[in-house]
Amino acid sequence: MTDRRRVNGPVGSTNPPVFEDEPEQEFGAQKGIRTRTPTATRKMYLKTGVTPSASGSAYLEIEASRKGAVSGLKLSCTVHGPRSLPRSTPFSPHIILSTHVKYAPFATKQRRGYIRDPTERDLGSHLETALRGAIIADRWPKSGVDIIISIVEGDHDRETSKSQGGEAWDMMNALSGCITVASAALADAGIDCVDTVAGGVAALVRDEGDDTTPRIVIDPIPSEHEQILAACCVAYLPDRDEITNLWFKGDLPASDMELYSQLVEKGIQASRNSNEVIVNSLLISTREQQPHERHDGTTRMHIAFNLQR
Amino acid sequence: MKFPLGSSSLNWMYGRGRQSAAIRNLETHNPTSTSHPESDSDLLHTADSYSSIMAIPSLSFSRPTFAKLSPHPYLLTNLSPQSPSTKPSRTNGRAPHEARPVQIHTSSLSHAHGSALVRSGNTTVVCGVRAEILPVTNIPQYRPRSSLQPSTTASDEAADRAELKAYDLLVPNIELATGCAPQFLPGVPPSTLAQTLSTRVYSLLHSCGVVDPKSLRIWHDPSAEAKKTTGEGDASMQDDNDDDESEAEPPQLMAYWVLYIDLLFVSFDGNPFDAAWTAVMAALRDTKLPEARWDPDREMAICSRTRKNPLDVSRGGLPVACTAAVFQEKEYAEAGGLAGENRHWVLLDPDRLEESLCRETVTMVVDCGGVGGETRIRSIEKQGGTVIGRELMRGFAGVAEKRWREVRDAMQ
Repeated sequence: MTDRRRVNGPVGSTNPPVFEDEPEQEFGAQKGIRTRTPTATRKMYLKTGVTPSASGSAYLEIEASRKGAVSGLKLSCTVHGPRSLPRSTPFSPHIILSTHVKYAPFATKQRRGYIRDPTERDLGSHLETALRGAIIADRWPKSGVDIIISIVEGDHDRETSKSQGGEAWDMMNALSGCITVASAALADAGIDCVDTVAGGVAALVRDEGDDTTPRIVIDPIPSEHEQILAACCVAYLPDRDEITNLWFKGDLPASDMELYSQLVEKGIQASRNSNEVIVNSLLISTREQQPHERHDGTTRMHIAFNLQR
Repeated sequence: MKFPLGSSSLNWMYGRGRQSAAIRNLETHNPTSTSHPESDSDLLHTADSYSSIMAIPSLSFSRPTFAKLSPHPYLLTNLSPQSPSTKPSRTNGRAPHEARPVQIHTSSLSHAHGSALVRSGNTTVVCGVRAEILPVTNIPQYRPRSSLQPSTTASDEAADRAELKAYDLLVPNIELATGCAPQFLPGVPPSTLAQTLSTRVYSLLHSCGVVDPKSLRIWHDPSAEAKKTTGEGDASMQDDNDDDESEAEPPQLMAYWVLYIDLLFVSFDGNPFDAAWTAVMAALRDTKLPEARWDPDREMAICSRTRKNPLDVSRGGLPVACTAAVFQEKEYAEAGGLAGENRHWVLLDPDRLEESLCRETVTMVVDCGGVGGETRIRSIEKQGGTVIGRELMRGFAGVAEKRWREVRDAMQ
């Protein structure tokens, strides 16, 4: 059943283009090389207040690792609320979070539809868990807040094959970005949080060439490594030293507990890096807002009503 | 005392002559023109101390608060200043015929074949064009084209357009439910506005003939294939129409490119159609399709990663949409009688507040890039209200021409 409320296009199925020649000659760069140090994250750009009509908003862009091959992550987040819930909703002593994560149709290798698919719902529920731990929820009883993230461009690699499981690892990077951008947007909306939560990803990878010892890197990109064995995405509150959400994927030897904790440790390190970006960006935006507010205060308008009339 | 929340109650309670008594004090520029002795200019500066001495309850609101509480009188007071020296301006500080400047960035998305980000004030829209291949075997009721000569006559052009529409090769969709404004939240089916906008873009794309169907066809030329095997062939198949001296099989049309044009509103502050249409045009001009040839053995089109052809959008010219809303002095104007008394303003490029107060809107799509620079009107749409007549429409064409130049400059 086609959706009549959209323009659906041709009845017959269309195929994405299939290419014949090798991409290497175009990009020049060699595949499978990580130029950053294992403890370096990619550069980030974070800006709050991109959607003035929303209560709070933020935009996050992570730089592309190689020109042409991998797109950087581009996220736009809006926060609406806190606002009163509809009458039909049962009483809630704390704020009700609703998170929506949606890929734009042009965000990934394959064209996405407009209906949310299970991956997007999964990302949304992880995001909700991560944020719920940071918001002081009982300050707003009987109210709700909507957090909406549009992934304008995903972190998908064009060359990574499906067999390598690139999509699954990309989801972790996307979640970490979602947490970071949502945290900035929440702060922009003025919703009280115990701390700014930030996302970080660490992975156990095996590189091309040396198949002896896997190593742990932060902010992994699937195309830069031969194989990703395991990855974990943490949402971390730096001041409280708490983790609000932990997502672990992959297979590790069950005997080696040290490896598990190391991976989480590195995830926290990545999260601290992105937290610095949030704090800096919020500082910049508050500095920008201050003169504006003062101006607004002096140009107040006054209304007087005549009682006799 | 009760503060009249609705602006209409202000109108009805105080009548026309006095309706701005409460509002006039809003005017920060010339507060002396109030009719009440109590509320003179001092009030503006010393309101807090004043109200504590006098028994008059004084409310002090910031601009955005007042705009929210009673938007109609707020906009009206801004548009009709008391002294003739101050020019009428809108709540956003623009003159009635002043549009927001447009900024366009293209090629910022890597997964799309063409993309554009258009920002006009606080309205931001991202457009991505993505091409996919539709083999003719997948088209039900496909009719092979008999003539392969390049279309020159008018009837051929009409056939081209019919082809584009019959096979549905252009698929524009507008997504508003991204939280770009408080009324557009996700999790619901597309709103009426989103559906209307998609349909308007769809019909305008077809009626203006923006995309040349020739650049969407993928050919298979068996004779060229044969030549290639002997070692002197030309690899390019696409658009190789006038290669007619081949005595063997004529080239065959095997597949079409389908353009998925997706628009995503990042931020919404009124006038979505102009921004969306500008984004569509900018993204289509930016689109580069990979060169494709038909592989008869695999029965599929194979594309080249290195060779790309820009999409031909020259035939449609550069249509630019220009929208204005009509703001009336009385919120609920009577149908007859008083129509002449009711003052109105034509507000170009309305923002979200103005859109909510205006019932009559007009959109004109013009193209001034034709031969000799003459203006061609590609479409006129007008909804609601009776203010804009023939004369105003003529004047509006001049405004649209100015807008066309602004947008063209932004595109280059």
